[in-house]
Amino acid sequence: MAPLLEMHGIERSYGSVRANDGIDLTVAAGSILGLLGENGSGKSTLMKVLFGMIPPDAGSIIFKGRELSGHNPAAAMEAGLAMIHQHFMLVDAMSVAENVMLGWPAAGRILARSRIATQVREASARFGLDLNPDSSVGDLSLGRRQRVEILRAVLRNADLLILDEPTSNLAPAEVSGLLSVLRRLRAEGRGVVFITHKMQEVLDVCDEVVVLRAGRVAGCVPVKGASRAALATMMVGHVAGATSTAEIHPAGAARLQVRGLHARGIGGIDFELRAGEILGVAGVDGNGQLELAEVLAGLRRADAGSVALNGRDITHANAATRISAGLALVPADRARTSLVRSMSVSENLMLRDSGRAPYSRRGILRPAACDAKALALMSSFDIRATGARSPVARLSGGNQQKVVVARELDRAPAVLVAHQATWGLDPGATRFVLDRMIELRNRGGAVLYISSELEEVLAISDRVAVLSGGRFAGVLEKGEFDLSRIGLWMAGQGGAA
Amino acid sequence: MRGPSAERSSGAYALIGRALVALLLSMLCAAVLIAFSGGNPLSAFAAIASGAAGSPHQIAVSLNRTAPYLLAGVGVALCFRAGVINIGAEGQIAFGGLGAAAAAIALPVANPLFAIALALLAGAAAGAAWAALATAIHLFRNVHEVLATLLLNFVALLLVQQMLAGPIGQFGAGFLQSPLLPAAAWLPQLAEGFEAHLGIFIAAAAAVVLSFLLWRTRFGFALRVTGRSRHAATYAGFSLPRLTWGVMLIAGALAGLAGGVEVLGVHRRLIEGFSLGFGFKAVTVALLGALEPLAVVPAALFIGMLETGGQSMQRQIGIPSALVAVIEGLTMLFVLAATARRYTA
Repeated sequence: MAPLLEMHGIERSYGSVRANDGIDLTVAAGSILGLLGENGSGKSTLMKVLFGMIPPDAGSIIFKGRELSGHNPAAAMEAGLAMIHQHFMLVDAMSVAENVMLGWPAAGRILARSRIATQVREASARFGLDLNPDSSVGDLSLGRRQRVEILRAVLRNADLLILDEPTSNLAPAEVSGLLSVLRRLRAEGRGVVFITHKMQEVLDVCDEVVVLRAGRVAGCVPVKGASRAALATMMVGHVAGATSTAEIHPAGAARLQVRGLHARGIGGIDFELRAGEILGVAGVDGNGQLELAEVLAGLRRADAGSVALNGRDITHANAATRISAGLALVPADRARTSLVRSMSVSENLMLRDSGRAPYSRRGILRPAACDAKALALMSSFDIRATGARSPVARLSGGNQQKVVVARELDRAPAVLVAHQATWGLDPGATRFVLDRMIELRNRGGAVLYISSELEEVLAISDRVAVLSGGRFAGVLEKGEFDLSRIGLWMAGQGGAA
Repeated sequence: MRGPSAERSSGAYALIGRALVALLLSMLCAAVLIAFSGGNPLSAFAAIASGAAGSPHQIAVSLNRTAPYLLAGVGVALCFRAGVINIGAEGQIAFGGLGAAAAAIALPVANPLFAIALALLAGAAAGAAWAALATAIHLFRNVHEVLATLLLNFVALLLVQQMLAGPIGQFGAGFLQSPLLPAAAWLPQLAEGFEAHLGIFIAAAAAVVLSFLLWRTRFGFALRVTGRSRHAATYAGFSLPRLTWGVMLIAGALAGLAGGVEVLGVHRRLIEGFSLGFGFKAVTVALLGALEPLAVVPAALFIGMLETGGQSMQRQIGIPSALVAVIEGLTMLFVLAATARRYTA
């Protein structure tokens, strides 16, 4: 029997980045395919191509024996594809039945409420979804909302359901419920693509698994007989360029001491960051990275534990105090937090330093000095802009990030916390940012480098910790970096180092 | 007075250009309305113009009208820049008038300089106090600032009325008003026979000071960052509550000053409803001036002259001065439509 879906040689680039570089993928009817990979490995791009949200540069898609090309999401749904996004596409104020009818031509122009309600009840019973057509979606738990999405797909006779990280927002009990729904879909002869980075779920429910890495298929194996370690290695790969800082740096005095830190999203983190070292924090995004960066920078409250900077307790200090104490932060969110887009390069360079020389004196700004300082920083950090007064929004992503990095490093901080500092940057700008981190380290600064780009973390760190579920799953010293252990920790397996 | 700002050099001035286009469009609409109701648009506009600036007397009336709008308007502009939507100028102005009148009556000083300074300071303090009440409710009880400031307007107006009916009212006047204030506290006229009072200079000075505050001080920088992105402001280490207190107290003091200037300069006594609608006009001129303190000057002047001219148009050619309210409303709509991105971005 011909497979339900065949994708051949899919290629798709964003600028100079090859997000999909010749991917082949096959899904048989009545099977569940796991799609495994780190952030940025090309999973979502591939699924967007399949669903017609973006056109591929090359390659073909054959679904149910017919070629799909030049399609849009509406045509994809018409053909029998359904995509369930991480963020649900539901209207909270409407009932389950109304959400099912939404944008569904078969619901008719004059809404047949009772007929749809009956269908919802039947399908709900058949799949064990336990949904009442009249309950309001806003009152439902996240797990139930997801079932509404599944129900919607099933009633539209979708033959292939794509679930994008469906378990990331679910409680454990809801996860096992979802997995049994997936099994029922398989038993009916439908196909499922299950996108995840959690290995246990793949092993539990999938028939076959495709591992993507850097836009290519790193492996395609039946789940039966696959080992966790082999999958982890496939996912993480071997690391190129990790030798750039091969010599081990003797670390100096403790700069940042974190003890038993608890906050929303963080459950007990301990570490010590020493002068002249880069501590890399690897892990899949959403495991407490944002929270850790924000708690350290004073943007989020710590519930318990302590943070000391150069021996001084700053657990409850505000952001301004931390800045003057020598704590710098490169946040992940350039759009809203680290830059004010409509303001000038000059103003963004003084964003966190407006109270000190040369930017102001006794509360009065010194525009000429601000601009001179901005021009100096623009030349030393190679920030390409038409002038110090041009709005930062007109700069490319790489130049925007250089503005942030220039501002945070110009203060000569004792500790720099960098979160996804190279996100969205091209290779040249990435290299630039990484080199600045290494430079700071070599001058005796301490860097906490939080990133989901494992290769970068391994390339520049003196020690690597893996953040998983809001805790450090383990820490490795340079020289004992072990990809399969890191991969297992990232996947939420294994205990402390 | 140029700061290291991209917004100022390009953004604000482009917006002012758009405001002028919006103004022309609203005049055009008003002309159509006048023509429909059987009037001659050109003679109506001519009547407005001559009524607003046709004689020294008319100019003086226009300037006196402008002063409180400008004072309160630059304060509102400062709040809006910081993302604090202060709709409370109406009540703060009324309270400022009450404070100025009460001080002039209770503490009669013979020296005009001291008498005026004392009364105006009391007005500013009263306006700031009323703004402080709204700010406290907003920050400590987490009530949205629009609600806190708007609803306190009604309370302020009733309190002023209550005071006029009691302690500072003129007994047997047949109208809710205070006795005439001591002459030492009257704002001096700018020249013999020219009734414009000192208020317009005080207001213009306030606009210059606020422009400096906004573009050339660290406080102004912090509030502009806050208005653009609260995340960025927190990240930059600025304290949002402190900023809110700062802009609200400044705006309250300026609105209070507006009330004081109106009482000491025009009526020379506190009259019930002396400032009815002024606070909302302040919002109009702030937006019309694209929240740029120096541009609020022509905006306030425009509204002040339009209203003065409108009244004389009604007297001269019988077109109701309510038409002026229509022009104001239309200008507002066009300006908001032309500059909408600024307020939603």
